[in-house]
Amino acid sequence: MNPDDIDNEIVNIIKKDPEMPYSRIAELLLISEDEVKEKLETLSDTRQKILIVDDELDTLIPLKRALEAEDYLVVEASSGMEAIEITRSVHPDLILLDLMMPVMDGFEVCKVLKDDVLTGHIPIIMLTAKGEIDDKIEGIETGADDYVTKPFDLGELKARIKMILRRTNV
Amino acid sequence: MIPKFTLGNNKWNLLLVIIICTLIISLITLYGIRLNEDIHEIAQEQFTHQQLLLSKQISTGIEEFLNQNTINIEILANHISDTPPGEVIPDFINVYYHSRGIYVIEFINESGVITMGYPLEDIPTGYDLYEHDQAYTFEKARDNQKTYVTKPFLLMEGGLGVTIWSPVYKGDEFKGVTLAIIRLSDISNRFLQNYDSTEEVYVVDEFGTILCGSSDRYQAGENFIDTVNGTNPLLFQILNKQMNGSEGTGYYFESNTFEKKLAAYSPIKWRNRLWSIAVVSPQSDVDDLIYSVYVKQVGLIGLSGGFIVLFSLSIILLLTRWNKSLELEVASKTSEITKSNELLKRANTKLMELDKLKSDFVSMVSHELKTPLTPMKISAEFLLQSDPDVSVRREMLELIVRNIDRQTRMVNDMLDISRIESGNMRFRKEMLDIGEIINSAFETMKKQSEEKKINITTDISPGLTKINADKDKLIQVFVNLLSNALKFTPDGGNVEIKAFESGKYIEVDVKDDGIGIPPDKIDKIFDKFYQIDNTYARPYSGSGLGLAITKSIMEGHGGTIRVESTPGEGSVFISIFLK
Repeated sequence: MNPDDIDNEIVNIIKKDPEMPYSRIAELLLISEDEVKEKLETLSDTRQKILIVDDELDTLIPLKRALEAEDYLVVEASSGMEAIEITRSVHPDLILLDLMMPVMDGFEVCKVLKDDVLTGHIPIIMLTAKGEIDDKIEGIETGADDYVTKPFDLGELKARIKMILRRTNV
Repeated sequence: MIPKFTLGNNKWNLLLVIIICTLIISLITLYGIRLNEDIHEIAQEQFTHQQLLLSKQISTGIEEFLNQNTINIEILANHISDTPPGEVIPDFINVYYHSRGIYVIEFINESGVITMGYPLEDIPTGYDLYEHDQAYTFEKARDNQKTYVTKPFLLMEGGLGVTIWSPVYKGDEFKGVTLAIIRLSDISNRFLQNYDSTEEVYVVDEFGTILCGSSDRYQAGENFIDTVNGTNPLLFQILNKQMNGSEGTGYYFESNTFEKKLAAYSPIKWRNRLWSIAVVSPQSDVDDLIYSVYVKQVGLIGLSGGFIVLFSLSIILLLTRWNKSLELEVASKTSEITKSNELLKRANTKLMELDKLKSDFVSMVSHELKTPLTPMKISAEFLLQSDPDVSVRREMLELIVRNIDRQTRMVNDMLDISRIESGNMRFRKEMLDIGEIINSAFETMKKQSEEKKINITTDISPGLTKINADKDKLIQVFVNLLSNALKFTPDGGNVEIKAFESGKYIEVDVKDDGIGIPPDKIDKIFDKFYQIDNTYARPYSGSGLGLAITKSIMEGHGGTIRVESTPGEGSVFISIFLK
């Protein structure tokens, strides 16, 4: 079952019977109780969602912790394919996209997302260890909204994220 | 482009040489023809001159013979005037034998009667001239007191002869006449019979009567001038000149054969007589002479022509060879240049490849060095700016330490690689037991394998031969291989190490049941910074230098390492050491 459908089902069930326990919902939808709990938390979460895409777990984890501390809901993906999948199901408010990834790199992911009507509006900040101008140009041409060179300043990244989110919310 | 007309062009060479050749040969031929005309003229002149000389020689001979005999008779006549008639005969005999040309000597007394002579058998003793009315010449000699020579006449014995009448005087007293007869046939035999060639000789007297000749054509006594008059004007002219006593040459044509003939004539002056001798030779003699010259000339022209052709051919050959050798030289030079160009091109391509490798290496190194910096920086900044729980703080610090370790490993690996590449890697070799080395590596990796729940088994043949190697480096080899195997094997998998002897070698196989290596990547896995993309490797991603270092260490020990793999089933890294 599609994650979106599951979300809709959960919402429908709770509308009918707000008192129904998690275990019952899990039984009805053939998923675990934890999953139901997580889905409900996510659904009830009003925080802005940021998707971090990086194949380096060591980069991903501290960034996630730092952004969570700033009260963002952080979703993670460790490959290009996963990033596209999650974007389509979770609809994040912003994507931090690493450029250098195996199989499908950041440029390709960016192109796919920006070409899709459903995901094209989501702002993307590109992250890369390479600080070359050529990358910058290609990043912007494929529709990336901003571009940050690794190792970046955490404060600066947070400022940029805030700026872009404010712009899209208006 | 090379112009068509060059010394090296065969076609032009040939044409040029043929033109020169033809020119020279025609020049020689022209000169030969000109020369021929001259030669013809000179030969003609020379021949004429020679014939004239011949006629002169003959005429001189005859003249001398006749005059000598006449003088002899005159001396005899003078001598016998004082001698008593009975003693005269010995003188006659003397003169007869000395002269060798006188047919008969007679003495005619003052009254015209033949009284004696020699040889006796030919003397008509008692023959009276007056009785036979033959005293005209006798009287002429007596009256003129001078020797007189008669025209030829028919001898009583047959044949023609001429007579010499020399008067004998004792003071003023006429005693008689000494008479000598010379047969014309004797003259002919003596002077004219030696010419058996095509030449003919005849003698005519002042009346144009033939006296004698070298062939039967010339009948003695025949009046030649009458014969040719009207029928052969040229010969008639010649005869007239002869009769005038001139010497010279002239041409005429035979009346019946029209053969052109050269007549060279000279006078014979004998007292009151004027004879003339002519040497007749056919023009064909001159022609033969000229022809022989021609033949020689043609031979010469042929020879020189042949020589020129030969010379030209050799020049052509020489030029052609020269040309060929030039062409060969040019070809070899061209191929040399092409070859060196090719070498340069290849070297250039290689250099460009090396340059690209170098810049790739630099960008990879910088990337690999920067990568751990990002998590360290984020974690550190996060810790600085926020105040998270103990667990998060711990997580961040661990992350920082892990990345510091990672970068340290990276720097060490890079130092190793640079030592290997500059040939500065030193091996402290000692005799080692391969089993111990494998166990050390195994111990090092034990914790990691337990984390991933991977079962490592070792199968080391007992009593393996010790090898001479660097202990630390060898442990590094197996640590690298094991860490590689762990990286690519999913949790709960198996890794097996097998060591055994095989002939002159010791083989160590590190086998995993991981994801394997795709066939198109198998050649690249020992390259620097080569990393196969996979998800299992992430938590342990290395520098990408491990296998490159491993391979270099193996080679530094005189060993080899290779990999066999089936994607989806696993890989075996086979290290082979020389015993």
